[in-house]
Amino acid sequence: MNKQFQRSCIVVARELVRLALAALVVLSPAALAVGEVQSPPSGAWGSLRPQLYGDREIGVVDEKFMSIEAPANTPDPSATPLTLRFGAQAVGKIKQVRLIIDNNPSPLAATMQLKPGVPVDEIDLRVRIDRFTSVRAIAETGDGRLEMRSTWVKASGGCSAPPSASDGGTLGEIRFRPSADATALQMSIRHPNNSGFQIDPRTGDAIPPHYISHMRVSAGGQIVMDVDSGISLSENPTLRIATSTPLAMPVTLEATDLPTLAHYSATWERGADASAKSGGSR
Amino acid sequence: MIVDAVSRSALRWFAAAALFVAPWMATAAPAAFDLREVAPGVFVHLGKPLALDAPGHDDIANIGFIVGTRCVAVIDTGGSVRIGRALRAAIRRRTPLPICYVINTHVHVDHVLGNFAFAEDHPSFVGHAALAAALARSREFFLRQYTDDFEAPATPAQIIAPDRGVETMLDLDLGDRHLTLRAWPKAHTDCDLTVFDEKTATLWTGDLLFRERLPALDGSVKGWLAALDVLARMSVKLVVPGHGGIAHDLAAALAPERRYLQALVDGVRSEIAQGKPIDDAMAHVGTAEKSHWLLWDSTHAHNVARAYQELEWE
Repeated sequence: MNKQFQRSCIVVARELVRLALAALVVLSPAALAVGEVQSPPSGAWGSLRPQLYGDREIGVVDEKFMSIEAPANTPDPSATPLTLRFGAQAVGKIKQVRLIIDNNPSPLAATMQLKPGVPVDEIDLRVRIDRFTSVRAIAETGDGRLEMRSTWVKASGGCSAPPSASDGGTLGEIRFRPSADATALQMSIRHPNNSGFQIDPRTGDAIPPHYISHMRVSAGGQIVMDVDSGISLSENPTLRIATSTPLAMPVTLEATDLPTLAHYSATWERGADASAKSGGSR
Repeated sequence: MIVDAVSRSALRWFAAAALFVAPWMATAAPAAFDLREVAPGVFVHLGKPLALDAPGHDDIANIGFIVGTRCVAVIDTGGSVRIGRALRAAIRRRTPLPICYVINTHVHVDHVLGNFAFAEDHPSFVGHAALAAALARSREFFLRQYTDDFEAPATPAQIIAPDRGVETMLDLDLGDRHLTLRAWPKAHTDCDLTVFDEKTATLWTGDLLFRERLPALDGSVKGWLAALDVLARMSVKLVVPGHGGIAHDLAAALAPERRYLQALVDGVRSEIAQGKPIDDAMAHVGTAEKSHWLLWDSTHAHNVARAYQELEWE
């Protein structure tokens, strides 16, 4: 590693810590250590668990309650699909799901607040995987029960991978894609979601972190879901939710960008073009 | 009984001999380095169809050299310093002329890690204008993932970047022999370069052409198909692909890869139109192609994922 690159890594580390302080909710000094660039931790869960959940009991065996799926050998470390499925006991009763990628430089990939009563039975996200890691989801029900599932993902390099062939386009453009049976809706935001670990091919310098920090999904005027997110989401952040009954119309996705604080939003109504496009607004 | 005793003593003899011979063989007599002269002055070492994590993974790409009256140009150097040295030794057995150029067709590890073997020749290293940046961002990964393919101790300085970047075209003179280097827009990777030897009308495609081995998509599937259209119109007598056997008919050699990439595009577009997520696409798209290719399982899902992310924003 040359000195210039080392320096830019340190700058990125400082920037990340600054942004983390500004953006994230629960970081203590111990968690700041896991945000450092130079020595990604193994098993961030060990330090995150007491911070996030204290000594509360966490169930780990009930596959019928919730499951997490990811390809074991991920075909694309910079866009690994993760699927959370909720069973009959869980649908409509979960108020929060945290997604933690233990060995990523920023392990808390997403915190999702769900509106109780909305029958979400599946959530899909695409994430960057920096090195072989456990990926875990912890769900909390309205009555305070905690359940965790985890899976092992063999992948590396997802945080520093260069932009894909789809880079560019209109920053903040939002697209909605419903499934043919109308039970699932994929929402994507055109955005580089730069992790801070990528290198600009033109200058050789690190690209500063620039990412979607928050998404809100509303249906029929009611909030369905709030997502606090960060640099572990892939380029063009994508959220797909499946519900056992179709979502109320119209559906709105709002997103906030760090560090610019730009706000993007778009609204979609069923019956429009199957691959509806909506321009983002700032 | 006698046979038994003889065979046992023979075994003992072999075991004792092996103790002395084996270490010597391992260091001083590497397995024969296959090299063929496919056209006058054009030498190719064919890589093996092995996975990137299999033993022998450093010897999977087609590499070689072209000899002029003044000097030699190397085209790709293999996936380890060891393979690079074997190529250099093969050149030295064929010609005393200096090695003036080392050309890399793109950033992938199986084509570049042997560069260090040629450092002592002080050639000009030549690649696509985007190759240096691509190597810069791959350096850490190569060091971590392919440590044993470097010369110990592995250092980032062993990954030698080009001192000359090709923006569009570049002509190299080897003495009574001209090579035309052409830089391509994003296709297999973002730094693909082809080499055309005018004297024998031989085209080195780099990994713009995979034969037998499943193509791996790291650039743009639409860009790659566009590049195949341009390649198919070129008039060449001999084709050296990045992987797989030598061919004479370029258009015919390109056809299977074109068919696969088109199946990828059509299948992924259909999944996107139906609102299917990326993991569904990995399971469904292109499965009819499977029987035509080697190393399907390690690469196809990756290709689908890359194509999906490119095409979902059309």
